[in-house]
Amino acid sequence: MTAIVVLLNLGLGLAGLGALRLSLARHHDAVFAVPLARRRALAWRAGGWVAIALSLAVAVRFEGWDFGPVQWLGTLTAAALALVVVLSYHPRLAWWLVVLPLLSSAALLTGLSAGGP
Amino acid sequence: MRNGFRQSMAWLHTWSGLIVGWVLFAVFVTGTASYYRTDITRWMQPELRREASLDPDAVARAADLAVAHLQTHAAGARAWFIGLPQPDRPLVDLFWRGRPGTPPNRVFLDPRTGEPAALRDTRGGDFLYRFHFELHLPPLWGRWIVGICAMIMLVALVSGIITHRRIFVDFFTLRRDKAVQRGWLDAHNVTGVLALPFHLMITYTGVITLGLMYMPWGVTAAYKGDMQAFFAETGQVTQPRPAAGRPGTLAPVGPMVRHALATIPEPLERLTVQNPRDANATVIAVFEEPHGLSHEHPQVAFDGTTGAVVEVRAGGLRPAARTFTTMVGLHEAHFAGPALRVLFFLCGLMGTAMVGSGLVLWNVARLPKKGGAPGFGWRLVHGLNVGTVAGLPAAVAAYLLVNRLLPAGLAGRAEWEVRAFFGVWLATTLVAFLPPLRPRLAWSGAMALAALLYLAAAAADVLTARGLWDDPAWFLGFDAVLVLLAAALAVVSRKIVRYEPPRRARKADPVPAPGGRVAAKPRSAGQPAPAMRRETETRLGRA
Amino acid sequence: MTSRSAAKADLLARAAVLGRVVLAAGGGYGTAALATALLSLTLPLTRAEAVTAATLASFVVMVGVVVYVFAARSLVRAALGVGGTALLLGGALWLAIGLAPAPGPGPGTGARPGMSVPA
Repeated sequence: MTAIVVLLNLGLGLAGLGALRLSLARHHDAVFAVPLARRRALAWRAGGWVAIALSLAVAVRFEGWDFGPVQWLGTLTAAALALVVVLSYHPRLAWWLVVLPLLSSAALLTGLSAGGP
Repeated sequence: MRNGFRQSMAWLHTWSGLIVGWVLFAVFVTGTASYYRTDITRWMQPELRREASLDPDAVARAADLAVAHLQTHAAGARAWFIGLPQPDRPLVDLFWRGRPGTPPNRVFLDPRTGEPAALRDTRGGDFLYRFHFELHLPPLWGRWIVGICAMIMLVALVSGIITHRRIFVDFFTLRRDKAVQRGWLDAHNVTGVLALPFHLMITYTGVITLGLMYMPWGVTAAYKGDMQAFFAETGQVTQPRPAAGRPGTLAPVGPMVRHALATIPEPLERLTVQNPRDANATVIAVFEEPHGLSHEHPQVAFDGTTGAVVEVRAGGLRPAARTFTTMVGLHEAHFAGPALRVLFFLCGLMGTAMVGSGLVLWNVARLPKKGGAPGFGWRLVHGLNVGTVAGLPAAVAAYLLVNRLLPAGLAGRAEWEVRAFFGVWLATTLVAFLPPLRPRLAWSGAMALAALLYLAAAAADVLTARGLWDDPAWFLGFDAVLVLLAAALAVVSRKIVRYEPPRRARKADPVPAPGGRVAAKPRSAGQPAPAMRRETETRLGRA
Repeated sequence: MTSRSAAKADLLARAAVLGRVVLAAGGGYGTAALATALLSLTLPLTRAEAVTAATLASFVVMVGVVVYVFAARSLVRAALGVGGTALLLGGALWLAIGLAPAPGPGPGTGARPGMSVPA
């Protein structure tokens, strides 16, 4: 149970931080051919924060107000480290590092809500 | 000072960080290992057989056997501490202090027979745990030194945050293929910033854990310095019962243990017997913390001569006291299950890497010009860096390795393990100071040594202790982690050997984009090159 | 600038740094200690809670003072700032001790002697 929630937190953290990273011109322009437009940046940023907030909500929902925030911060740190290290070797993966975790999180979340806490 | 707030903070960050960096690195390594303290202890005593479960009668019988042993061997002691058997560690763990000046006594008993347990003599994970806050010095000295270093680390963190202007932009930036100094700066920033919540938490709660020793003046003002009265009044311990000064006879503790187990649902961790031969003897049953962040042990106190319950303490702390116990709980992370524990461990590793990369960065930023010889200060820092950053992990590996190599019956075996730890640490440091050794060779050699030692520890376990394992999968898992550590260190060692330094310090380098595509021109997020350079130097404290 | 006066300026700068280190350590700890003692006596909580809260906050005070000492424009200014704060806290503490009720049970649950902390 906890392991699944940790995975979910990791996925949402990866997707959220990956999106936030793409809202920064320096990182965005290294991946995409089109320069970052202002509205695009705002969209990435909003999406990123939503995923991170969702991660906190999930952690609190399943682990409570004491363990939830601790687990949220821990997974966020791990996700950030993974993101930075992987992208420093394979910067082209930036887009996939947002989409894949998001999809797997969605799958996990559906499974969790079906199974109940 | 100097010019401007940011520069003065950069200066403060560099020098405060350097001065305490070596101690902090050791504290981080041993503290991170302490998240797996019980596992390390288990690995170092492969003879121990775990039990599926222990019923209250078995625990009560073990407590009676423990008291019988103490009555014969520790009659004069003011207090007895009896660790009771747990399913994953079925041992009776006795501790008492003899006359002042003599070392404290510790004995492990078989909970079934009350005879000394047939285990190899080792300090296990407890050595690393105590080193984490006492540095193997007299406790008072060690704790003060670690506390001062932790305070300076707190200052270094705050000044580092102030110095680091573009935290958000740099948040995701790790450039491995640029100038060596830039790479190390990025590594320091990434490990520092990504785990910043952990770093702030672990440093502050670390100071708080021993806070009443460092800052006793509140207790001095409000309690005239009576620390015991303060602890009892916060509700963290049961009411004290001073000795009556008349001899008394301790009642059997078995019934007390049964009663305590029926009162509190948590596993019973230990008994404390105060003034065991006094008419006012007290037996206190201390339980494990209930599931939660807060580090508070439920306790039941008994009158030692009659066996009657005097007090039951469980929960009910007020907000400030609860904040305190929660901070201690967060620091120790006893609450963390396997998944959360891995995350804490990872954060600890990042803290270790932050301190280590900061130390290396000091050297890298001050590399002598081509053809120039490094000065005394540079060589001193370099030697201590190699000795600490590579030597300490090697020392931990040596500590594990000799646990498998030393004969079981060797007198003073536990001390020899500790000597191996310090011996390898000292030797690595001394070799790093040898003048003919080129800095890079010193680094890669020391890392390779550490890698070999971890590999050897895993191999020695499989070769010598295989027959003793009660759960082969668990031991193989532990060995796999050792092999992983060895592999990581070997990769580092190889990278150091193979590294081709780019031509040093192209001052007018444009802002490099991540991933090797050098941006032709500074972009919106970037800054003109001179400003970049100034910032880098500010952050390195050279301005 | 002659090399001699440059050397002198360098020495002065080093002395100023040393002064700040001493001021940050001594002044930081002293101010934090005074603040802890003062808050322990004056916070509107039970005695044990006041002491705990004051001790928990004390290390924030100390870090703040250290950062201030190194951020201040000059050593004299830093010394005046820290000295003034300490004097103020000391005066308040003196008043608090003077006004405190005669020794006896505190505002908490009454005097309770303690036992040693678990090993």
